[in-house]
Amino acid sequence: MLSRTVIDHLRQKVGAGNVYHEREDLLVYGYDATPEIVGLPEVAVFPENREGLEAALEVSRQEGLAVTPRGAATGLSGGSTPTVGGMVLGLTRMNRILEIDEENLTATAEAGVITVDLFNAAAARGLFYPPDPGSQNVSTLGGNVAENAGGLRGLKYGVTRNYVMALSGLLYDGTEFIAGNKCVKDVAGYSLRDLLIGSEGTLGIITEVTVRLINPPQDKRTLLAYFRDIRTAGEAVSRIIAARIIPATLEIMDKTTINCVEDYAGIGLPREMGALLLIEVDGHPAVVAEEAEGVRKILEEVRADVIRQAANTEEAAQLTAARRTALSAVARVSPTTILEDATVPRSRLAETFTEIERLKEKYGIRVATFGHAGDGNLHPTAVTDERNREEIEKVHAFFSDLYEKVLSMGGTVSGEHGIGIAKKGYLLRQFGEGGIGVMRRIKKSFDPDGRLNPGKIFFDEGVSAGLKIPGVTNG
Amino acid sequence: MHALRLLSRGLPHLRAHEPGKVQPRGRAALARAVAEGKLEFTPAVRDEAFLCLDCKACSTACPSGVRVGTIMEFCRSQAQVFHPPSLPAGMLRDFILKRMLPSPALMETSMLPARLYQRLGLQWAARRLGINRFLPGVLAKMEGILPTLAPPLRQEIPEMIPALGKKRGRVAFFLGCAMSLVFPEVSRQTARILSQQGFDIVTPKDVKCCGAPHLAEGDRETARRLARINMDLFLSLGVDFIVTDCAGCGCALKEYEELMEGQDDHERVLRFRAKIRDISEFLAEVGIRTEELLPVPLSVTYHEPCHLVHGQGLSGPPRQVIRAIPGVELREMKESSWCCGMAGSFALKELETSLRILERKLANVRATGADLLVTANPGCHLQLAWGVRELGMKQPVLHVVELLGRSLPA
Repeated sequence: MLSRTVIDHLRQKVGAGNVYHEREDLLVYGYDATPEIVGLPEVAVFPENREGLEAALEVSRQEGLAVTPRGAATGLSGGSTPTVGGMVLGLTRMNRILEIDEENLTATAEAGVITVDLFNAAAARGLFYPPDPGSQNVSTLGGNVAENAGGLRGLKYGVTRNYVMALSGLLYDGTEFIAGNKCVKDVAGYSLRDLLIGSEGTLGIITEVTVRLINPPQDKRTLLAYFRDIRTAGEAVSRIIAARIIPATLEIMDKTTINCVEDYAGIGLPREMGALLLIEVDGHPAVVAEEAEGVRKILEEVRADVIRQAANTEEAAQLTAARRTALSAVARVSPTTILEDATVPRSRLAETFTEIERLKEKYGIRVATFGHAGDGNLHPTAVTDERNREEIEKVHAFFSDLYEKVLSMGGTVSGEHGIGIAKKGYLLRQFGEGGIGVMRRIKKSFDPDGRLNPGKIFFDEGVSAGLKIPGVTNG
Repeated sequence: MHALRLLSRGLPHLRAHEPGKVQPRGRAALARAVAEGKLEFTPAVRDEAFLCLDCKACSTACPSGVRVGTIMEFCRSQAQVFHPPSLPAGMLRDFILKRMLPSPALMETSMLPARLYQRLGLQWAARRLGINRFLPGVLAKMEGILPTLAPPLRQEIPEMIPALGKKRGRVAFFLGCAMSLVFPEVSRQTARILSQQGFDIVTPKDVKCCGAPHLAEGDRETARRLARINMDLFLSLGVDFIVTDCAGCGCALKEYEELMEGQDDHERVLRFRAKIRDISEFLAEVGIRTEELLPVPLSVTYHEPCHLVHGQGLSGPPRQVIRAIPGVELREMKESSWCCGMAGSFALKELETSLRILERKLANVRATGADLLVTANPGCHLQLAWGVRELGMKQPVLHVVELLGRSLPA
């Protein structure tokens, strides 16, 4: 419990309306969007500017508080969940778009700006900020950077990392940093910027981001293909990539997902099909026509059961929207939804689907699989109830087996959701003690006392050493 | 908790930087924490339950199907148990909910002082003198928001009104309290329209309050008592449809199924539920006979009552009705489905917040430049009309049926 004096001090420095210490308030900052992982901070602070943030950090240092940075808390691995009490440091009230530089084609914004707001601001100037994570209407730029968020356009346009040019912020000890600049090329020193991207709030607190913007595509075409067998869909994806066609979007939804989405959106998706692929090609009209034709040929080659082209932008938007709400639509079915982030090289997609089906049968659980097939980034999502301990055990075993196979194929345990708390055990499997050891040294150089977002990414010897994670064996 | 992660967008008075407990995800989390014994039902929890507008925009937005509004209503009923109001406040609350609202005669009597105040020219004088400026906020709002009152419709409207022209059917008219007492002219138009469209109309005098205020205040017990009476009354009329022109009533009547779960014959409740229609929903369903309609050459913009668009999922039908009127130009305002800030008694309890919400709504109205502002609910109607007057805006506020009524031949 923090003393009244400390609370008053914070209120004075950061603004009375920006400091929360009552239990009802703290409770709602103890979670993100990851099921089963919940904490409770001692105080939650939402500075409106750099000065307020510096003051909050100073208080943390004085009181020895751990600090957990927080955006919109839509994360799926526990990255913004406070594990050891301490201070939740919310960036959502630092939410101004500072500049759109049309000469350098960059945008600079505070970390609390909502992704889609940045997209819209750029679009208003005829420019394009491509990264579009599923949470883009709500999630913040700072959060996107901390997790290196992807999105539906990732296949062609890349992920957040490919657009970040500069980051500024603070380390836990109060050191200010500016990593990167508006230069298109820069090899001076180690790239601290690249280290910070995807560091999940464990190395530094990001307060401002400069991103590069590109030209929006002139034309777009959306194709839909249905498959009775999901493995054929996997085959289609591998072949499209092998044919050197890079669609902007190449998404998959399995039968379980299709039915959940159809229950919610009712747009006429085929309930009996094993899978559907949503494919979008965009760019110059001539290229779009050629690529669309190329994709169509491949779909015919693998003998997709139905091949359709969206008749107009409205239908295309409807289909994309249906894909974006897949997770939430699946979440209607049952109180707890546990989704994972297994990613494999694209040549091994069909194999991965086979394994998912096999494990589903082995454990007798319901799993909806959807995701960025074009990236090899699948989201197998278990539909369950955390109160049913027996089933939850099976779900954890399912994912453990699946990751075993994924790693053996040269895959990764996290394509885009980060490690946070949920996947610490898996990270150890992927990197081994040696790899984790190097990461610990880097962490120590940024945050010697281990107070910034402790308990995330890898097991450390510090404050959260004894932390138990549901479904994961420590060490 | 991630079922609710995508919800802070598109909700009337919330921005992502608002405190977590104000957002639907936060409120649901609080309710869950109380249910799991991780949090006491503190005054702060109670306050959050009542600060919720219960606009149900979250239910519309949520792809995961979580109905936070309903959770909040339940919290309110629990609030009475954990934090019973003080004796005077409790007595007033009980009087209003348990004695006054269930008694149409008592309510009509209670309006007499207000009507006298107007008829004797006192309101005119008070307003000329600007007396409102000296009243406490709530009273000023209450005084300002009351339109010119006419005798309540419930006593005056015939129990049976015959269809005009070729008869298409027979319906019952659920005459809501607010409509009867405050907007009798509007409901008169509703009856006129139904008759002109070829329907016999039965309007039982013994209709009781639908229970919407009780649901909002957490008095589910009285709401159930009223529901039973209304179901008995209307099911005995032998009609296929029960039509209402108040979005609040329509929403409450459609909620009887959930309210009466385990408390009444399920099949009977379902039968009742199947007959309920909002007037625009009804007209869209049976089709509007337009041959005799006269042109109304005006531009209108439509504010969607929360209890129609979110509570009942009705967004198309009111627009269909407006578009059916020859000569009318419908201009869509931005954020048409955002709450107006009335939210039942919220506008009187949370003046500041309500005003902020209203100002945003009226800015959107002004931007359309339309001649008329049209809506479909008495609460919204009061709030919007008050705001329009306070801000000196040009648009008169009408109910959809008043607009259609202008188009009917005399």
